[in-house]
Parts: sequence; structure tokens; C-alpha cells
Amino acid sequence: MPDTTGPFYAAYIITALVYSGYALSIWLRAKKTREKLKTLENS
Amino acid sequence: MSPSSSSSTVALPESKPIFDWFFALAVASVVGIFIRAIYFTPLEALQGAAQKIYYVHVPSAVGAYIAVSITALSALTYLWLRDERADRMAEASAEVGLIFTTMVLITGPLWAHRIWGAWWAWWDLRLTLTLFLWFLIIGYLILRGAIEDPAMRARYSAVLAVLAVLVIPFIHLSVYFQSAGLHPKPIVLQPEKPKLPGEMLTTFLLSMCAFSLFCLALIRARYRLGVDRDRLAILEAERGL
Amino acid sequence: MAAAWLVARKDLAIEFRTRTAFFSALVFSVLAITIFYFAWDPSVVTPTDRAPGVLWVVLTFSALLGLQRSFALEEHDRGIDALLVSPIARESIYLGKAIGNLIFLCAIQVIAIPALALFYNMPVGRPLLVVSGIVLLAMIGIVAVGTLFSAMAVNTRLAELLLPMLSLPFFVPVLMNAAQAATHIFAGRPVAEVSHLLKILIAFDIVFVTACTLAFPFTLEE
Repeated sequence: MPDTTGPFYAAYIITALVYSGYALSIWLRAKKTREKLKTLENS
Repeated sequence: MSPSSSSSTVALPESKPIFDWFFALAVASVVGIFIRAIYFTPLEALQGAAQKIYYVHVPSAVGAYIAVSITALSALTYLWLRDERADRMAEASAEVGLIFTTMVLITGPLWAHRIWGAWWAWWDLRLTLTLFLWFLIIGYLILRGAIEDPAMRARYSAVLAVLAVLVIPFIHLSVYFQSAGLHPKPIVLQPEKPKLPGEMLTTFLLSMCAFSLFCLALIRARYRLGVDRDRLAILEAERGL
Repeated sequence: MAAAWLVARKDLAIEFRTRTAFFSALVFSVLAITIFYFAWDPSVVTPTDRAPGVLWVVLTFSALLGLQRSFALEEHDRGIDALLVSPIARESIYLGKAIGNLIFLCAIQVIAIPALALFYNMPVGRPLLVVSGIVLLAMIGIVAVGTLFSAMAVNTRLAELLLPMLSLPFFVPVLMNAAQAATHIFAGRPVAEVSHLLKILIAFDIVFVTACTLAFPFTLEE
């Protein structure tokens, strides 16, 4: 069996990072937008 | 002080939490599948560990197709009904579709390099199609980013989405003939038949479900972000910012 | 249709007077033809092998140059408003612009293709004639899509970036089939062998001329 663990690790790690990174980006953008909304609504 | 709804010309749905139980469920299933694929699925004899990339590569592609199909349908719906919710959905699924397509393009070469001995193969129909899908989505998102007026932005991106749907079969045919050369074999639509034994097949099918769920959960979350953004834009416009 | 011809004539008349886009496209073509000749060692890759590739590069970039300006013309003095107020059907505006762009491109190719054949020692005669036909089919597809995107891009902030960016995935099926067909024709193969590629080209042209004509009014509404 050839040793192909390198690409395997890389693929799974990148997959986990990218998808969670994207979910995080949604959350951060939502936080920023809601903060702006709050300041506008309270002004 | 409550925002005056009489001056807004559109009725925005109320702000819902970005991540809810559905999202948590989706994340849990993806994490579960990761664990199952890594620890509880046997290695394939010929390809070694790299074969397991299959369990994230193909489901990512399925997620990408789900997302762009939603974009295309939403775009058509917008052109027909002029409902801004359709436009918001189109934008949300396009962004999610881009992420999934990017993952297909990253995991694909990682898997292929050891198997084919090359990072890229233009003659591979699916890989090339995915690359052009990626370009189409990027074009769509950049077009949206370049237009300020929401109505024009919705209209233009919807037109682009419809044209993109029309061009995809042509790209498919062209790449097919490019690789087949002068004597093309007849094109038969064959569904992907995973010739995987027992446990591998189960992991694969479960992964398809998990990633599809995750894709829908992300689209939902991104849609809600879109709602918040639109509400902010309306408020800012009202206050003359 | 008569209205479309009017719009086309107007655009061509404007271009004829200034000739800037025409000359820049022409100069670019000659430059590309020359550079590509010297970029390869002729003993490794013969000019005849290179020529088909150069042909398509020249075509695509002169197309983009011409397309950029087709709606940019109107942008300057909001000429588009005058067109919209007139009784011309929206679809005719699009067709007129497209025909104008097509004629512009044909004018460039009428000079560029013989220049290419001359400098690269290509076989003149029936193959070149057939390839010119293929080029025409390709141009129709490129112009159909490019004119619509030009109309959209001109209203955005990133016009010069957007037109090539949006067009790329749409030009690719055209160029893939046309280039493959042309290479086989130049290699002396009969037309029948590449008929499936030509059918795709023709289908593309029909589908996208129709789709873009129908889509154009959506890019104009106020």
C-alpha cells in the first residue's frame, strides 16, 4: 500500500479549516452588522 | 426607540439567530462523519490513505451543485416575481457554493496527485467543469459587488445566473469533445456508481447526507446575515448616512 | 430589424470617424502575431503549428477591445437615453450593437488572418477559407455574449475588469470547439470530421443570440 497519508492529512485539515472558517466569517459579519443596527436603532 | 416601519418600502423578516439547532445538527453530523471516515473506515488497498479524501471531495461537489442550483432557481424566481427574498437567497447560496466549489478544487488535486501523478488534468471533464463553475460564481459575486443599486444588482446578477445555467451544458460538451478527440464515444449520462464495499459505501453515503445538510445550514445562516445587512442598509438610507 | 441596422450604422459611423478602437485592435493583432512568432524557437515548434493558437488569441483580445468601447460610447454623453426614448425596440438596440461589433471584428480579421497566413507560411486555399468560416461562427457567439456583458459592465464600478472576467467562461466553449476544428482543418482533415464541433458552435450561436436578445431589456429598465 503506498504511503499517501500526506495528502490525506492535508485534505482533511484544509477541509475542516475552510468550512469552519467560513462559518466563523458569517458569524463575525453578523455580529458586526447587528452591532451597527443596535447603535442606529438606539440613536 | 423603535424603527419606523412605515417609511421602509420593504417588509423585512425579523432577525433570526444566525446559528440555531439546525446548524448545530449539521455541524455535529459533519464532525461525526469526519470521525467515522478517519477512524472507523478501512483503508483502501491500492490508494492508501488518500482514498479517504473521496469522502470529503465528492460530498463537497454535491454541496456545490445544491448551492448553485438554488442560486439559479432563485435568480429565475427573482426575474419572474421581483421578490427581493429570491435575490437574497441567490446571493447567499452563491457564496456558499463558492466555498464548496473551492473545496472540490483543493481536495481534487490533493487526491489526484498521488494517483494520476499530476496536479491537474484538463482532459478530466469534471475537474475542468468545476473550474469553470468556480469562474462563473466568482464573476457573479464580483458583478454583485460592483453594483450599488439593489434593484439593478438583483436584475443583472439574475441575468448572469440564467446565462450561466445555459452555458454549462456547452462547457460540458466542449470539454468532452476536447478530451475525446476526433472520434467521440456516444455520451451516455451515467449516474455515479460508487463501487465501494460495505463500510466504505456507508461512510460515503452518510457523508453525502452530512455535507448536504451542512450546505443547507450554511445557506440558511448566510441568508439571515443577508436579512440583517438589508435591514442595516435601509436604516442607514433612512438616516441619510 | 431595420432599426437594428440603423443602430449598427450609427455605431460604425462613429467608429469610422475616430478609428481609435479599430487601430488599437489592429496594432495589438500585429504585435501579437509578431511576438508569438519570436517567442518560440522555430525549429522546436514550427510557425504552422503555432498559428492556430495565435489566431484565437488575436481574435479574443481584439474582440474584448471592441466590446469595451461599444457601450462605453454611450456612457459619455448618456447617449443611451436618447436610444431608449426613441421608438426603437429594446431588442433592436441590442442587435444593432451586436451587429456593429461583429462588423468591427470582421474588419479586423480581414486584415489579421491574411497577415497571419503570410507571416506564418500557412497553407492558403480551401483550408484557410473553411477556417475563416469557423472564425465567423466563433465571432458571432463571442459578440452575442460580449455585447450583453458590455451593456451590463458599463453601468458598474469595475467595467474594465468585469467584461473580460464575466466573458471568460462563456468564450471558452466557443474557443475550445473552434480552435480544435480549425487545427484539424489546417492539418488537412475533411470538414465532415469536425462537423460535431461545428454543430456545437452553431447551437451556441443560436442559443446565445436568442438568450442575450431576450435578456437585454432587463439590463436597461429604470
